[in-house]
Amino acid sequence: MSTDVLEAPAPSGKDATYAARRQLIQGSARATLKRRRAIALAIRIIFGICMFLTLIPLAFLIGYVTKRGIGALSVAFFTHTPTPEGIPGGGISNAIVGSLIINGLALVIAMPIGLLVALFLIERRGPIANAIRFGADVLSGLPSILIGLFAYSVIVVHTHYSAYSASVALAVLMLPIMIRGNEEAMRTVPNELWEAGLALGARQSRVVRSVVVRGSIPGLVTANLLALARGVGETAPLLFTTIFTQQFSTSLNQPINAIPFVIYYDGTSAFKDLQQDAWGAAFVLMVGVLILSIIGRTFAARLTRKSR
Amino acid sequence: MEIKEIKEGSPRQLLEQRRSSLSSGRGYAALLWGAALLFVVVLATIIEGIVSQSTQAFGHFGIGFLWSTAWNEATNSFGAGQFIVGTVTVTLIAMIIAVPVGLATAAFLTEMCPRRIATPLGIAIDLIAAVPSIVVGLWGLYVMQPIFLRDVEPFMKDIPVVSLLFKGNAEGPSYILAGFVLSIMIVPTMVALSRTALAGVGVLDREAAFALGATPWQVVRKVVVPGANSGILAASTLALGRAVGETIAITLLIGNTLILQHPFSLLNDGATLGSVIVLNFGESQPGTLLRSTLLALAVVLLVITLIVNIGGRFIVRKSTQFRLP
Repeated sequence: MSTDVLEAPAPSGKDATYAARRQLIQGSARATLKRRRAIALAIRIIFGICMFLTLIPLAFLIGYVTKRGIGALSVAFFTHTPTPEGIPGGGISNAIVGSLIINGLALVIAMPIGLLVALFLIERRGPIANAIRFGADVLSGLPSILIGLFAYSVIVVHTHYSAYSASVALAVLMLPIMIRGNEEAMRTVPNELWEAGLALGARQSRVVRSVVVRGSIPGLVTANLLALARGVGETAPLLFTTIFTQQFSTSLNQPINAIPFVIYYDGTSAFKDLQQDAWGAAFVLMVGVLILSIIGRTFAARLTRKSR
Repeated sequence: MEIKEIKEGSPRQLLEQRRSSLSSGRGYAALLWGAALLFVVVLATIIEGIVSQSTQAFGHFGIGFLWSTAWNEATNSFGAGQFIVGTVTVTLIAMIIAVPVGLATAAFLTEMCPRRIATPLGIAIDLIAAVPSIVVGLWGLYVMQPIFLRDVEPFMKDIPVVSLLFKGNAEGPSYILAGFVLSIMIVPTMVALSRTALAGVGVLDREAAFALGATPWQVVRKVVVPGANSGILAASTLALGRAVGETIAITLLIGNTLILQHPFSLLNDGATLGSVIVLNFGESQPGTLLRSTLLALAVVLLVITLIVNIGGRFIVRKSTQFRLP
């Protein structure tokens, strides 16, 4: 930063006071420059340390889960059902399949609704659309445990613990993320394209299908993948909708195991081999969620590059 | 849009086609309204389902439920006080750590380091924010708890003044452990949101300040932070909302003692609104006072998160530069 004195014309009359003031300001700026630079440097170092404080625990977390988790992995881990403590050769295949089923069904339930509500927000302006947008924002901030209680009081209390009630809970959890993400994605389609479609005589619904939805597919994929990534890792909604079981089940109407359950229950057990399973499950879950997020973000990056 | 050949046909046929396509347009509008209505119904049912089951407990205990710290299943006397204390304590610890660290990280990434480093670090932090809370909780239980027992807690006891908050014996699960791990979980949220807020301040404003001879820190302090004020506040509020609602990791770390420990110390174990619901819900029978009490605790949690979230969104709405991701 330069604080050199500018070439000033010879001061005369009124200009003299300006020149004096300028000199005063420049003088004090120069006098304090050393101190100010020192403070700026110190702050920069402190903030840099803060950045490391943010990153270090997270890096340790990922490193530790990877180290303990990889040790737990084997072919049997993915293909066998759990064995009681002390008996080797068990796996968490029922939990992996369970998580896939629960989240797959949740995606099937939430995706169309998320897309349609987003389209509603795109097409309608006014208080109703604003209220729904606000509702989606508030819902995305609600603790997942409350959504679990919702699914319990709507489904489980009238029937029994089941895979599909867990899917409903996760679908509700995913919905606001999908709605807002889909809406953002479709807003990136330029107005001119809408207008061009309408000018060709196409109906609104036709324009939406062929121009808006098709034009924002990468963004839609991103929104849905990020919602899925959020749902896969949730534990609290499952606690109210299905139960931790050792059985292998693919029935939607029966309780089903899930990866977060393995972490939650086996992780707090006293047996070393069950704890080992929990670390393996934690690693699988973490990698799965990270892959979903990375794929999602790559899609988003492609979208922004294309629109530029 | 693919171009279809215009079909030959009698005017009557064309009219029929047009009619059927028009009705499909109406069907499409109905579909949209249907989805919107369904969403509103879901929102209403969430609140209705939780509130309706809690009325028994609120009717039985009255408003004093909120500050009573009783918990006795034999005599059916329950209170929310100890869980509100637990939730507030843990959240406060997390916020005291996460807000300054997160804000400083965001300021460092947006203002004080080259973009070549800032972009990948920002992406990394965003990705880490996606790590499921159960995984963080497990790590906290196995890695942080021994470290806290062995090093951190004795160290805190040796600092004057601070030691007043660390009376008694450390046994493992504690408010401070749960609060610390929670802070690790919300820092990425804080960084991501306040980065958006800081980046929203105009480049021209910054350049004007630099042109006046300000150092980078002066630019941050006098231009960027005041310009992003409401965005930073909103980011903190939303991080607060996440912290209040986080359940599973805390359940693993807080010890789940249902009775408030005396004297108050951050080394005490306790319970939060979320953890008490998770741990006792399965054992409670529908229709009992215990079940209704747990739902009443859920209502307390619901009200707190609604206030925090709606407050946060309200602040966002007032600031024009800041858009949430």
